[in-house]
Amino acid sequence: MYWNSKDISVFLEQKEFVDTAVIPLLLIDGQASQLKQSASSAEFLMALTAFIEKQFKGRIVLMPPVSYTKQANRQLLGNEWKDLLKEAGFKHLFFVSCDMYWATEANDLNVIFTPSIPLEHMDQKLRQTVLDDQLRQIIPVFAKRWSETT
Amino acid sequence: MSNNRVSRRQFLNYTLMGVGGFMAAGMMMPMVRFAVDPVLQKAGGGDFIPTAKKVADITNVPERVDFSFEQVDAWYTSEVTSTAWVYKEGNSIIALSPVCKHLGCTVNWAGSPDHPEQFFCPCHAGRYEKNGKNIKGTPPLGPLDEFEVKEQDGLLYIGKTRPNTLV
Repeated sequence: MYWNSKDISVFLEQKEFVDTAVIPLLLIDGQASQLKQSASSAEFLMALTAFIEKQFKGRIVLMPPVSYTKQANRQLLGNEWKDLLKEAGFKHLFFVSCDMYWATEANDLNVIFTPSIPLEHMDQKLRQTVLDDQLRQIIPVFAKRWSETT
Repeated sequence: MSNNRVSRRQFLNYTLMGVGGFMAAGMMMPMVRFAVDPVLQKAGGGDFIPTAKKVADITNVPERVDFSFEQVDAWYTSEVTSTAWVYKEGNSIIALSPVCKHLGCTVNWAGSPDHPEQFFCPCHAGRYEKNGKNIKGTPPLGPLDEFEVKEQDGLLYIGKTRPNTLV
């Protein structure tokens, strides 16, 4: 489900079934040399999370992407979102990001780090296959965390 | 000079008839075109979408078939990819929609190791039998939808969804 009024009203009615929020964490880099790379990874992350949403439509709410700059205190930012969504009634939170920071620094958010794959030169079919492969790696992560606390 | 000279009156008559004829035709043409328009419409083929799947390759084990089509939202066209679970039952081809009837997740054939002969929804462990019938005691309340299918030039064509007719 998406963060729109229609889906959120379903969420409010079906809280026992819809218990997970997926939050894309998006680093936006303003340096001229990094702009393209930054846009490309945003494109990938958006496509991937939309794919996840399609697979798990009935259990997750895909949040609008949380964008931040290099200067932002990511630890603080992540924790803010965590507290907010726990308060909103989500039992499970999945942060997904292409930002290396989350892969290297220890944090208690359990961010799913996925390296960004440039999609812009792929045709529709290849794109589908690539995203499918990525999704297949992510499904077990979801399944595992769901089974840990149910 | 020829002998039958055209008088001024005759000349004016001819020109007026010619011009008048054009004007009348100019008015009639669009009207006629509008009137016969339904006849000229393309048959449209019932919105069947071709897939890359050969009908001969379909087995009695459900298999994932992706198909994409262009979806038009007002002036914006986007390519949408959809999926169907396709298998053979006797001689007829069955294509089931992968959308779970509970809250709309995507179901997988043999998605759970404990139930290899069923469709499984990973979200809330919903299960369906091979013909799409929902299994009692799991969250889904209805059977999986079915796609209309047809065969053309050896390839599988997939049409609109309709409520399951097998259960």
